[in-house]
Amino acid sequence: MAQCSNPLALIAEITHRCPLHCVYCSNPLELTSRQEELATGDWLRVFDEAAALGVLHLHLTGGEPLARPDLTELIEGARRARLYTNLITSGIGLSRERLTQLVGAGLDHIQLSFQDTSEGQANWIAGTRAHAHKVELAGWIREHRIAFTVNLVVHRQNIDHLDAMIRALEALRPDRMEIAHAQYYGWALQNRPALLPTRAQLDDAVAVVRAAEERLRGQVRIDMVVPDYHARYPKACMGGWGRQLLLIDPAGRALPCHAAGVIPGLRFDNVRERALGWIWQSSEAFQKFRGEEWMAEPCRSCDRRKEDFGGCRCQAFLLTGDARATDPVCELAPLHHLIEDAVRVDAVTGLAPAAREAPFHVLQENMAGFWSYRTDPK
Amino acid sequence: MAELTDASIPKFAPGCRWGGTTEAPVVLFPEGAIRVEGTGRIILELCDGHFSLAEIVQKLETQFILAPKGKIRADVLVFLEQLHAKRIVDY
Repeated sequence: MAQCSNPLALIAEITHRCPLHCVYCSNPLELTSRQEELATGDWLRVFDEAAALGVLHLHLTGGEPLARPDLTELIEGARRARLYTNLITSGIGLSRERLTQLVGAGLDHIQLSFQDTSEGQANWIAGTRAHAHKVELAGWIREHRIAFTVNLVVHRQNIDHLDAMIRALEALRPDRMEIAHAQYYGWALQNRPALLPTRAQLDDAVAVVRAAEERLRGQVRIDMVVPDYHARYPKACMGGWGRQLLLIDPAGRALPCHAAGVIPGLRFDNVRERALGWIWQSSEAFQKFRGEEWMAEPCRSCDRRKEDFGGCRCQAFLLTGDARATDPVCELAPLHHLIEDAVRVDAVTGLAPAAREAPFHVLQENMAGFWSYRTDPK
Repeated sequence: MAELTDASIPKFAPGCRWGGTTEAPVVLFPEGAIRVEGTGRIILELCDGHFSLAEIVQKLETQFILAPKGKIRADVLVFLEQLHAKRIVDY
């Protein structure tokens, strides 16, 4: 059995329900319905178990976590368990009063997502009218003494005005900005031809972020996640399989990462039936790619294996059909040409349909063939 | 970046706080945690919004009487400026 450290963070996907339809959503294509969601008491027990395992940070996410009416109770329970509690939200459905309640319950950090900073464009990407409320909400957040992060997902449809977006977001006075390039799993992988930036666009974007970091030093901390398709080496996905993080999906299944459900033949134990400590230490899914035993060449003898752990298992499966393969992002991977082909075919600038406001079903129809919006759970 | 002067009052930035246990305390902040021990812990415990930089340095000088003149202030400055760049400490 591979040696096992304790988890540092728990990602709790408390619901898959969401009022937004973002085209790069990281949720799985098969969404969990409301009827299958874990009850309040189950989550509270999981938080206690996580804290006992050594988890420090709890990320409440979804879907849209605000869709759970028991969110205040969940935050109170997390704080009782001494977890640092972060709410990852679109902000839709959050009134000034409810925000005050969540902060009163012990919320430490709120991370508000933005799709763009021009309203029409943002609503086009989210498939719904959401942008104006987010701007108003940002003002209410700053009335409280909690950490405030704005998160912006970057892709080919907004990357060319990244500098203007950063300037608009810094006016909201966040403590932290996440400039996260779309990662190609789930809905984003389906929509990759519309989203993957060119190498030149990425280089420009990196330069824009570096300049913003200089300008905002001590005022806004900027963290950037780059799209690994343009990298030479793979990312250390989740800090290594089963090494630092675990994710619980709305139905209670424990996964080593957001996308692990795509890997066939993996059994994910459920917190309804098993203690979290057992799942982390002993369950099949968490042991599957922990350590180095599973690695094939070129990873097995590579110096970088302790840094990137062979890259992302889910990406390896999604692109090569083999979850044990070296992540094809790596230039040393035997199947690296799959990434080169994807970049050559998909990362092509061209005319996008004009952003426009319309009811979701109309947008869905108009954009068919260009991209598909994330749908609602059944 | 804001200038750290003798009159500055360093304190945790919003959403940054103590966590862990009394024996092994950590500073928690968005997306991270740092273990602080020894002098770092003593400095951060004084960053509770009650003391100016000058007062913090003075307290440390009383505690570490053998430190060369000026060294404590220089060390505290570097330490707090690093944490300020990470948005963990404001002043």
